[in-house]
Amino acid sequence: MSRKTTASTDPALEFRNLNVWFGSREHKGRFETHTIRDVSFAVMPGERIGLVGESGCGKTTTILAAMGLLPASADVAGEVLLDGVDIISKGEAGLNPYRWKDIAMVFQGAMSAFNPVKTIGWQISEALEVHRITSGTQTRQRVAELLEMVGLSPEVAGQFPHQLSGGMKQRAVIAMALSCNPKVLLADEPTTALDVVVQDQILQLLVQLSIDLNLTLVLVTHDLGVVAQSCTRAAVMLNGEIVEDGPVDQLYREPRHEYTKSLFEATPNIADIMARPIEKKVPKPNLLEVRDLTVRYGNSAGSLSRSDSRPAAVDSISFSLAAGELVALVGQSGCGKTTTVQAIMGMIDVAAGSVLVNGSETVGIPDRKRRPLRRTMQMIYQDPYEALDVRFTVRDTIEEPLLIHKVGESRAKRQEMIEASLEEVGLTPASRYLNRYPHELSGGQRQRVAIAASIVLRPAILLADEPVSMLDVTLRSGVLDLLDELRHSHEMGILMITHDLSTAAEHADRIIVMREGKIVEDGAPKSIIDSPKSDYTKLLLDSVPSPDPSVKRRV
Amino acid sequence: MGRASYLWKRTGFALMTVFVAITFNFILFRVLPGSAITRISRVPNASPALKKALEEQFGLDRPIWDQYLLYLKGLFTGNLGISYSNRQPVFDNLMEAFGNTLPMVSIGTILAIILGIAVGIHSAVRRGTVADHVSTNLAVLFYAFPTQFLGMMLLILFAGVLPSAGLHDPFAIGMTPWEEFLDRAKHMILPVLTLILTLYAENALIVRSSMLETLGEDYVLTARAKGLSRGKIISSYALRNAMLPIVTMVALALGAIVSGAILIEVIFSWPGIGRALYDAVLQRDYPMLQGGFLIITVVVVVLNYIADLIYFKLDPRVVD
Amino acid sequence: MITPLPVSPASGETRRSGWLTILGVLREPTAAIGLGILALFSLISLLSPWLKPYSSRVASCAVFEPPSPAHWLGCDDGGIDVLSLVLEGGQVSMYVGFTAAAITIGIGATIGIVSGYFGGWIDTVLMRITDYFLVIPQIVLMIVVAAVWGPSLEHVIVVIGVLMWTYTARIVRAQVKSLRERIYIKRVIALGSGHLRIIWRHILPQVGPLLVASAVLAITVAIFNETALAFLGLSDPTAITWGTIMEHAFNRAAVSTGAWWAIVPAGFAVAFLIMGCYLFGRSIEDALNPRLKVSYLSPFGWQLRPLVGRGKDAL
Repeated sequence: MSRKTTASTDPALEFRNLNVWFGSREHKGRFETHTIRDVSFAVMPGERIGLVGESGCGKTTTILAAMGLLPASADVAGEVLLDGVDIISKGEAGLNPYRWKDIAMVFQGAMSAFNPVKTIGWQISEALEVHRITSGTQTRQRVAELLEMVGLSPEVAGQFPHQLSGGMKQRAVIAMALSCNPKVLLADEPTTALDVVVQDQILQLLVQLSIDLNLTLVLVTHDLGVVAQSCTRAAVMLNGEIVEDGPVDQLYREPRHEYTKSLFEATPNIADIMARPIEKKVPKPNLLEVRDLTVRYGNSAGSLSRSDSRPAAVDSISFSLAAGELVALVGQSGCGKTTTVQAIMGMIDVAAGSVLVNGSETVGIPDRKRRPLRRTMQMIYQDPYEALDVRFTVRDTIEEPLLIHKVGESRAKRQEMIEASLEEVGLTPASRYLNRYPHELSGGQRQRVAIAASIVLRPAILLADEPVSMLDVTLRSGVLDLLDELRHSHEMGILMITHDLSTAAEHADRIIVMREGKIVEDGAPKSIIDSPKSDYTKLLLDSVPSPDPSVKRRV
Repeated sequence: MGRASYLWKRTGFALMTVFVAITFNFILFRVLPGSAITRISRVPNASPALKKALEEQFGLDRPIWDQYLLYLKGLFTGNLGISYSNRQPVFDNLMEAFGNTLPMVSIGTILAIILGIAVGIHSAVRRGTVADHVSTNLAVLFYAFPTQFLGMMLLILFAGVLPSAGLHDPFAIGMTPWEEFLDRAKHMILPVLTLILTLYAENALIVRSSMLETLGEDYVLTARAKGLSRGKIISSYALRNAMLPIVTMVALALGAIVSGAILIEVIFSWPGIGRALYDAVLQRDYPMLQGGFLIITVVVVVLNYIADLIYFKLDPRVVD
Repeated sequence: MITPLPVSPASGETRRSGWLTILGVLREPTAAIGLGILALFSLISLLSPWLKPYSSRVASCAVFEPPSPAHWLGCDDGGIDVLSLVLEGGQVSMYVGFTAAAITIGIGATIGIVSGYFGGWIDTVLMRITDYFLVIPQIVLMIVVAAVWGPSLEHVIVVIGVLMWTYTARIVRAQVKSLRERIYIKRVIALGSGHLRIIWRHILPQVGPLLVASAVLAITVAIFNETALAFLGLSDPTAITWGTIMEHAFNRAAVSTGAWWAIVPAGFAVAFLIMGCYLFGRSIEDALNPRLKVSYLSPFGWQLRPLVGRGKDAL
């Protein structure tokens, strides 16, 4: 197709007054929502721009509109100019020739972006051959070239998606996106599901490719750290509008809009923690003691085989948790942190070692004896949307633990306890929330209800599994502050699992770093950040993207 | 773990199923009280010598365990007993009937699957349009009619136009091979048509819903972003992945094929295995009933096993 | 997962209660028609003793008399009014279908829930048994069992009920297995709740709508099987069901005499009832299936809207 020859000062991609409405035709305008409101911004060739905002702000919709991939319920107005040509003006059919050749996309879930029954090579070749870039042996060469470019071995071409790890798959997705030499690459949360170390590698790859290929990159993300470390400019979106747009440095140093400011404030920064004074603590009695705990793979409860040849998911770890203490268990996925917590809860079999709660052994005790123990040890889960039964009102959800453990002799007494714990988690006045169903609550409120249901029994120990990772960044600090408050007011011991070293450093008294089932480091946040002893902790620290663009990482 | 061990497991399962069916067959016909067939040697009008021979052969005076072993031994040598009705070996009767069933049922089933897939894809990619509503509701309607009803309606509609019973014209003599082939083909039209009408609808509904499920997968969106044509997305992405549940569901629908075939053979006097089973029920010809049950079960188990192999071939993710 | 696109405001609330799903389903015409047919047939069959214009046992007109104002649907080979036969047959057929479906759901739900909830070796054993029942051609087994035990309505019900539960067991197990992995179930287990309480309070209500759907679909299979067994002469020879009506017509040469009215009413009655069950059951199952909510290859595309004016109030 004809493309205007343009000077390098013309934008590679430009959005002009983009508007998107949903649901207008289906419901005859009754439920129309104006999702994208007059979004305009331009990206120069080779520029990397971050489109930042919280869930539902319309950032994904914006780039899907540029690719013409919106569903049938969408109405689009405005222009999307690619090298000066409006590509959406002829509807979806008019867009097809530009797709992949001029503008390509990396989708959020690398796991499901590939057709599971075709090889990686087949799927990359397909793009090349459909757009008549190459054919035959040329295609095979190009595929190998592309795979090498993203740091994969050419043999990956013969493999099926399920045979690759998450990071490898994301690299393969990038190779596929770059196969037809696009001018513009749209990346939708390309690293969200990945571990922090892998995330760092993928971001570096994207930056490198954008520099090498003079590729225009639009990076959609909720993480300011990611933008600060990989983009030159950022546009902040709120409720379908761009509220601020400028160089990342300027946004970080002197944000003009309130929202930008609050986003940066909510994003933890390791640099700030270093400056935080450490409180001196009076030693408290240990609530939980884990000694030489070992859990093996495939050791689900009730399995009969007892061979010790199976690899250990948790390998002989020991630590303790004192009253009023918040300990963070940090590590990449698969490091054994979740398994450790499950073993402490008695949800899986323990191969060796002991778990002492208030000084008494809990490993190997029968279910009947474990039930009363559950009162002293409660758990908070990652996904607030999944943590509540949709058919239960807030009252029923919080009353359930009381009924299970036969606490509170009368309905009135229980009601009192329910209201007290709701107030405690900050849902005040309690009466406003008692009869609500989960779908009537926001994500942060749901997580608070789940916490209220955990603390209504007054447990001594709280185990929190990534309690904020599914929440928007502005809601995180509220929930974390709540946990902080609970351990002070009730002398609770809290063990928090997280993959995020900066969150851990900001809130925990002590950090335990785990890798491949072993504890590699254990200490106060300040000492771990200032002087990490193990190389692995250093790697983790280096991988955490700082929201401060001037903080340069090792490359 | 691994792909190969999956194959072994499925093979083992198929063999086990056949064995369970064989044993169940034995228990049902010989061990359960109240059944009038504890004496397999009661061939009506049989000579005392034949009775004696059969009694010895099946060990009917011996303990049940010995009988079971003898029964297994008989099975391996193709000895399923003697039919009450024509006093021929059950095995020979069934093989002949099976030979008649095979072409009619396989042609009907294959056509029904092809038609079902075509209609199902057509509806799924036009989800929500008038064409989809019409074809889906038509499929539901055909699904809802009992096989015997469709068969009888076709008989009434085509009375005099097409032959209504049997494999071929019994009174035609001196036909050339070509004429004979045409005659047989004509006789096959109505039974095959009934089978197609019975089965296509279910297949179409299965294909439609599995296609719709795959159309919501993220890789379909990726394919669109890649600039692929609609046709290519449908064939290489949606249908290719929808084939997996389709294979499973069609395998599960084998029971429907069997019941359809039995009813059709009864209606069109088709001397196949279903008809043999029907006659056996009417004449209380227990050895034939037992043998027919066994053969159909084995065939269905084998077909299921083939479906497993196809699934294995289609899905690279299958491991043990 | 790619972030689900906002399809319409109503779909934002995807985690609604299961029972609300059923109510929501009734807003769709197909589901409403299905339930309507089901209700109408149940009502007619309950009232059939009073609706029957003639006796279904005693001849009231000539052999194979065509439909007439006196006999709307004509008469069968014995001079019996077909309308009366179909009305009475419906009562018996539906009784067989509903009872067999109830047995099926009882067995299927129990096995599915136990298997899916407890997992481990219990699941392995139960699913292996289910696999055997799935592979064995049920209709043939039904024929054999019915032939061995002798023809009676009770046998037909028991045989159909006991052989058909595999489908229910499998889908219920799949659902329970995924529920078992849901955080809120894990949370309640961690609270120290007993298994019975969890199954009763959290699992069963979630599986409920699926059980309704599968019960309704089981009725279709039960009625199909009843008519097939009856057609093969394996039902109670004295009972009047839609199956035996068609069997009589076939065996008494209704086809060769062209007396379609002896066959068509029963056949259409079966077809309508089964359509009703199928439409209703399928709609519930589809509504419960999250994978059907999104389609990335819709025949309709997004549309361009001319932009009127500029700025924030542009419309």
